Amino acid sequence: MHIHELNPWRTLIALSIFVVVLIIGFITKPKPLFTYEKTIAESVSALSLSEDYVYPWELEDIIANKPDSIVLFDIRNNFVFGQGHIPGSENLAASVLSREENIDRMKKLRDMGVTVVLVGEDELHANGPWMFYRQVGFNNVKLLLGGYNYYFEHKDDLYSTIDDDAYFKGIARFDYAEMAAPKDGAALNSDDMSKPVQVQRRQKSNVAAGGC
Amino acid sequence: MNRNYIFLTILMLVLAGGTLFLSMNDEPDQIDPKVLLEEMIQPTRYVSTDQVAKMLIQGDPSLMLIDVRSEDDYSYYTLPGAVNIPLDSLLVNGNLSYLGMPGTKVVFVSNDDIKADQMWVLTKRLGYNSTYVLKGGINCWMQTIIEPQRPSDDAPAVDFETYTFRKGAQMYFTGAGSGESEATKVDVEVRRREKSNVAAGGC
Repeated sequence: MHIHELNPWRTLIALSIFVVVLIIGFITKPKPLFTYEKTIAESVSALSLSEDYVYPWELEDIIANKPDSIVLFDIRNNFVFGQGHIPGSENLAASVLSREENIDRMKKLRDMGVTVVLVGEDELHANGPWMFYRQVGFNNVKLLLGGYNYYFEHKDDLYSTIDDDAYFKGIARFDYAEMAAPKDGAALNSDDMSKPVQVQRRQKSNVAAGGC
Repeated sequence: MNRNYIFLTILMLVLAGGTLFLSMNDEPDQIDPKVLLEEMIQPTRYVSTDQVAKMLIQGDPSLMLIDVRSEDDYSYYTLPGAVNIPLDSLLVNGNLSYLGMPGTKVVFVSNDDIKADQMWVLTKRLGYNSTYVLKGGINCWMQTIIEPQRPSDDAPAVDFETYTFRKGAQMYFTGAGSGESEATKVDVEVRRREKSNVAAGGC
């Protein structure tokens, strides 16, 4: 005879406690701040969606009208932000993005349906945080193409950038194979570092010029 | 049979069914999103074209270049020794096996640095370490290594040191021989003094 069969209730009680502990554990498990809402494959295909970006020429309207539905977050550090920024933008440096109060702010803006535009020095600077927010379900977060540097260069006439492709990334700017084709040594060394040397000896005059 | 044993069996079957349900998630293991965010804001993932050129010239076996552009772009031109894993094929046919090899530094390469950076974010999410992004990408490689520009005369000495290295790297990567060119030959022009009839003195 098995020991549990002596007191069947004891087994039942032990089992019930085990299940209750499991349930309490699941309920009280701390909820993560973020969870991935997009799979890797979904994240890759979302990268090509043009509506996830803000184009520099669109800033003209945003700056002029300051719509309540759009917030510009400049993720450069506080010092460079102080030296110059897009009018109406707020500073939220990349180094403090993971602070709980800032995450709460982002969540509130998402719940309010406000579009958040991340502004970095250039597109690369804000690319990581932008991808992160998109992957964890912040579909309201967009990326400013060209970043602050491009804005600064063209701030006097942002509308004209509509025809410019200089801020577009991912384009081959050269014919790589042609540029990197084998060259002869002469072509490589024909820069102005190798100037011909001219030796000019001093011309002696008829007059005694003095000694050493 | 005792009722308790029947109850236990049913409970175990339910738990086993639960594990089957858990294994239906096909997504590979991923790091905590908060850790990803903290990693994301660090600029340490970028390597320069000079650093990569130096490693290639030294034949550093720990370097692995992964070209994330399309197959066509890769076939047309890529950096020496690079393998091709297009961004949209990351999860295809064991491409992930190139990552996470101990002692290997993986550098992602694209036309500039955005696609490479996107690849970095995705692989970091999958928990791979020792991955880097070639800052400026192949466009920058062309400007700095294949056709380096001479610094201005008032540039600091360190710029000239970099330029000297780049000129050497240019020879290495464009396959040019180190033979002397016409331009390196120095034209020496000697002007002999004109002799006069009068003694000119001197030392």
